[in-house]
Parts: sequence; structure tokens; C-alpha cells
Amino acid sequence: MIPNVSFPQRCVNSIAHVSWLASFLAGSSSVFCLVLLTVALGAQALTPSHHLSLSDVERLKGLLSQPFTDLASAYYSIVGLSKLGAAVADENDACQFLKAQLDPMSVDSLFFAAEASQAIADCEVSISNETRDILLAAVSEDSTVTQIFRAVSALSSLGLPLASQEVVAALVARIAKEDNVLAITTALQTATRLSQQAELGGILEEIEDLAARLDDLGGVYLQFEEGLEATALFVTAAYTLSDHADTEPPLKEDQVIQLVNSVFSKKSWDSRSEAFSVACAAAALSSNRFHVPVIVSTQGPATVSHSQPILHLLVTDILSNPLASANLLVESAQAVASKSVVLSQAPFSLRDGIFELNFMASQPASGYYQFTVAVTGDSRLVANQVELKVKVSTEVAVTNMDLSVVDKDQSIGTKTSRVDYPFKAKGSFTADSHQNFAMNFQLVDANTGVELTPHQTFVRFHNQKTGQEVVFVAEPDSKNLYKFELDTAERKSEFDSMSGTYVLHLIVGDATLENPILWNVADVVLKFLDEEAPAAIQSKTLYMPKPDIQHLFREPEKKPPTVVSNTFTALVLSPFLLLLILWFKLGANISNFSLSPSSVLFHVGHACMLGLMYVYWTHLNMFQTLKYLAIIGSLTFLAGNRMLAQKAVKRYGQSSTLTFFTRRTCEN
Amino acid sequence: MSNSVISVISRFLEEYTTKTSNKLKVVDAYLFYILLTGALQFLYCLLVGTFPFNSFLAGFISCVGAFILGVCLRIQINPDNKGDFLSISQERAFADFLLAHTVLHLVVINFIG
Repeated sequence: MIPNVSFPQRCVNSIAHVSWLASFLAGSSSVFCLVLLTVALGAQALTPSHHLSLSDVERLKGLLSQPFTDLASAYYSIVGLSKLGAAVADENDACQFLKAQLDPMSVDSLFFAAEASQAIADCEVSISNETRDILLAAVSEDSTVTQIFRAVSALSSLGLPLASQEVVAALVARIAKEDNVLAITTALQTATRLSQQAELGGILEEIEDLAARLDDLGGVYLQFEEGLEATALFVTAAYTLSDHADTEPPLKEDQVIQLVNSVFSKKSWDSRSEAFSVACAAAALSSNRFHVPVIVSTQGPATVSHSQPILHLLVTDILSNPLASANLLVESAQAVASKSVVLSQAPFSLRDGIFELNFMASQPASGYYQFTVAVTGDSRLVANQVELKVKVSTEVAVTNMDLSVVDKDQSIGTKTSRVDYPFKAKGSFTADSHQNFAMNFQLVDANTGVELTPHQTFVRFHNQKTGQEVVFVAEPDSKNLYKFELDTAERKSEFDSMSGTYVLHLIVGDATLENPILWNVADVVLKFLDEEAPAAIQSKTLYMPKPDIQHLFREPEKKPPTVVSNTFTALVLSPFLLLLILWFKLGANISNFSLSPSSVLFHVGHACMLGLMYVYWTHLNMFQTLKYLAIIGSLTFLAGNRMLAQKAVKRYGQSSTLTFFTRRTCEN
Repeated sequence: MSNSVISVISRFLEEYTTKTSNKLKVVDAYLFYILLTGALQFLYCLLVGTFPFNSFLAGFISCVGAFILGVCLRIQINPDNKGDFLSISQERAFADFLLAHTVLHLVVINFIG
């Protein structure tokens, strides 16, 4: 079929189709993005799920305080501890160690010693002109970024002058060559040591490029695939450089929180350098000029009750240091069950660094409340809107507990007796098959008198003799009055029709109750009709091994007795004898058998084929049989063909001679 | 009534014994034998049961098939039917008979189990 559209035209058509498809996809994806955005905006703001608690900070300090054996570990320990606001055990010893270990010819050694000595008060490392030359020589395009960083840091720590612009040029050149995360982070760190007049714009842009390389894990964590240390060093470098250049870092609030989660989720660190990086990141995030993540946590469980009406909240930075100038405000407190707002725009009061609010003053009913609190007072605060779940618990009291035995036909008056908690009813109650045992009671809040409907209100019957335990649920009616009725005849299957004395307990429990109740109310004698009295309790045999199941193999079909089969075999073969007799009587013979090779071969072949059938039945499969049959069959066929042809010739010869003779005789 | 049946049968038998050639009688004897064998197999199945069913089927179908092929042979070699089978000589009929039997036996032995 020849297309009647020319090739260029077809090309244009296909492009048109493709562009239409692309625009459709773009439109749909933008719509999808819009939907996602609205969903995201409507969703909760992210809050940090990990931070360093006081014990974590202690552990970090402990790891950094371990004795150091070389300059690098000394540097990590001394500088790390100083970032956390602590100091090494023996500062003088440390200083001596630094001076002793210093190798004035090595840039790394100079870096470690210089930085560490800066962290210790009154510790000066001696320098010479050679030192300065070595350090300045390291600042060039040919050294690695790490070398440049160490040289620049050493120079600045030792108070030696350096040319910031040259450093910037070298850094830019090195970044182009070493494009990995650690190198660029080190470049950022180097830039923090340079003069503010230098051209740091290009290096500042690297923060955004690096942030784009972070991996988002489930929307909760943001980290480099190089690991925790790289992420922590990046955080430190980004914020230190932003502070130095007085430019807000291009990190969004959610990204900052995700970085906090990544860096502070690990609570035991593998190496000193890892601990050092975490300490630096913690210090950077708690005291930079732009973003300070705030942690709002409860002191103890978030529960208030009449005995403890005050909700205590702690507002700290990620190092668990309380924030100096913060104000806490409840934006709304909403009951989870009824969705009614109980409190709105209520401030917390600060006492001894803990924020307090007397929530019971608003007289909330018992249950769960969703609090939205906001931390204000500092424009740097990040994640300052937090959602909390607060539980208000109370005590329950059982009132108006009435026990009665009611006749089913209600001809005899009911006998009701009142029992007070926690006492037990004086007499026992008897109920047989035409009586019902009934229990009515009310559950109220002990403090406010409000009726309660706890999650668990069970009535338990326990037979002391047989160990049977039957538990029923008591349900409240529309007026919150609890009613329980036991129909002896109807429920006899649960009791296994075992008559006897049952001890009655009332069980009341709920997550918001401070005093769950297990109350032995009374003894109930139950009489059942037609007592089956099983010997032992059924449940005992439930967990014993069950009887073995023997596998029954498929039984072979019943065969007739051999006598019958043999008889019938003989019977079926007997017609063959009959056939032979008949043929003999008819005079069939093999006198015409010509001993020509083809007929011999034919008969032999035919016999072989029949023999092959027997062998097929006993040994072979179809494929083998067909193979042999093909061979024998073709031979037999050829031989038979010849033999039959000869026979035909002979027959026609006979008949023609016969006609010849008859014609001759007729003619005669 | 029975008289006429008997007279028909006796006349048939007389005609048969005189008119049919020996060759055909030989084939008829063979057919009778096959018939008996098949009938006896069927009788066994009725009396004793169908186990194993495949063997019974194989045997019975072998008898039925052989009977049919025998009948075909008889038809084809009967000189009275020469007009209907001009292209098929007696030897050819016999060769066909043998070939068909080979296939039948193959199938029967396969099925007999």
C-alpha cells in the first residue's frame, strides 16, 4: 500500500502528534503538581523527629573526651568539645601534647595543632618564617582542596596574613576539578576563614548546588549518600559560611528539618571524626543567625488529671539547651472525640525554664486532646508549630449498683439489693432456668459527676471449683445506665451447663482512667437444667495432641478371581480353533505358496511386524515402535508389493489362457 | 409366520453354500471368528465388570475394527462387485487390508495398557 502523503509531510504529522502528546503530558503533570502542592500546603508542617537529648550530648562528649594518641584525634576532641561548650580534662596536658606532636614541616600537622590550640585558652604554638612559607605554598591550584583548607585555617588561626582573593581563585579552580561532596564542603569551610571583602558569591552558590545533591528519604530524611559525616560537615559549612557572608542559606524550612533528622538520628557514633562532625553541626544549628530548629517536648507523659492539672513543656534547641527568648502559645486545643475546641490562644507561663499551663482550669472532659502550640519570640526559629496529643485522665466511680434476680414470667417480685463499692453483697444470689440475674449500675467521673462510658466494662463469672471463667460485656443504654442481664437458660452453653457457685467480678478499664476497677461484687449460684457435666473442662483437651491421622493409600480396584479370568481367556481364544477347523473344512490350503524371495521376505516381515506389536506392548514406547515399524514396514511393503504383483500376473495369465481356451472351444 | 422365516433361512443357507466361492467362504469364516471373539469379550465385560476398562475397549475395538476391515476386503474381492471397484484389484484390496490392520493394531496395542 503506497502512502499518498509524502515523506516530509508524514514527518510533520508525526511531530505534530508528538508535540500534542507532550503538551498533554505537561498539562496533566502541572495539574498534578498543583494538586500535590495544595495537598502539601494543607498537610502538617514537618517537625524534627530526632534531636540530641541531654544524655545524647553527654554520650557525645564522652566519646570526644577519650584519650587521644595523635594530633588528628587531639584536634577532633579539643575542638569538638569546645563546640559543645565543654573542655578537655586537662588543658595544660593537652597543650603540651600539641606542642610536642607538632611537625612544623607538615601542613596537616600545623592545621591540627593550630586549630586545637585556638580552642584552648593560653595555648600558643610556636611558628617560624618557614612555617608561613610552607603554609602559603600550599595555597595553590595544585594542592587538593583539603590541603588548601588546612593551610588557610592554620594561617588564620596562627594570625598570619593571607591573600583571600588568591585563595578564592584556587578554590574555584579546585572545585571545577574535584566535583565531589566532601571537596565542595571543604571549600565552603575554607571560605569562612577568608575576609568578608573577598568575592565569596561564587562559592556561596555552591551551597545551593550541593543541597540539590541531597537524597530525600521518605520526606523525613535528607542526607548525602556519602553518609552522616558528609551531611553533618555540609550543615556546619553552610551555616558558618552564611553567617560569615551574612546571606541567608538557600535551604527551605522542611529541608532544614530533614537535615536535622538525618544528622541527629544516630545516637552512637563510630569514630571520633564522626562525633566531631555531629558536634559541629549541632553547634552550627543552635547558634547561627538564620535558622534555629526548635524542639518542643513534654516533660514526662503528656497527661493531665485532677491531681496533676499542669501540662509541662520544654522548649529547647537541638542540643537540648533551653531557648532564651521563646514564648509558647497554645493556638488551639481540640477534643479528638467531639472535635470541639476547648482552648484557644492561651499562653504558657515560664517557670524555671519549663513552660506550664493549667489545662484542668478549662475543665476538659476526660479523653484525648489535640494541641497545636506555637513558639514565638525569635524570627530564626524553624519548625515552631508543633502538634501534640494530650490525655486528660480522671477517676471513675461505680454508683447505684443494683443486683436482682428476676423471674422470667415476672410473676414473683424482684429482689433487688444495692451493693456499694468496694464491698461485697452479703448473701449469694440464686438463679435457675426460669430466672434471670440482672445487674444495673452507673459509671461516673469521680471528680465532676459526669457519666462515663469507658472502653472496658466486663462482668466476669468464675467457678472456683472447675476453674471456668465466663466474661460478658455490660452495655450502656441511651441514658448511660449500664445494664447486664444473664438469661440462665439461654447462656447455658457458655457455662457448659455446670451448676454451682460463681464469683462475680466487675471489671472497668480505659486508657483515660487512673483507677481501673476489679470489684468482687457478689456470689451467684447458677442452676442449670439437664446437667451434662463433662468429666473435665473441654478446654483442657484443646491443647493436647490430637489423634494421628493415618494416610490411606488409594486401594487398588477389586480384581476378579484368577479362575474367572483364566476361564474367560481360554473362552476368548477358543474361536481361533473354530476358525482353523472351518478353514480346514473349506479346503483352504497353502499349496499355492511360491517360495520366491519376495514372498518369503514378505511373510517374514509381516511376522516381524506382529512380533513388534507384542514387544511394543511389553517393552517399548510409541516412538521406538514407530521407528522399528517404519523399517520393517517399508521392507515388508516392498516385498509384499512384488509378491502381489507376481500373483496378479499369474492370475491374469491364468484367466487369459482360460478365455483363450474358451474362445477357442466356442469357435470350435 | 415362523414357517416363512425358517424357509427364508434355509433358502439363504442353500444359496450361500452353493453360490459363494471358496475364497469368500474363507473370508466369511474369518469374519465369524472375529465376531465370536468380540461377543465373548463383551460377555465377559457384562458378567465380571469393566476393570480394566481401557483393556476391554482396546480388545473390543480391535474386534470391531478387524470385522469392518474384513467386510471391506470381502466386498472388494467379490467378483460380483467388480463393476464398483474397477481400479482396485484383488491384490490391492488385500494390501489395503494389511495396511489398515497395521494401523489398527498399533492403536490397539497402545491402548491396551
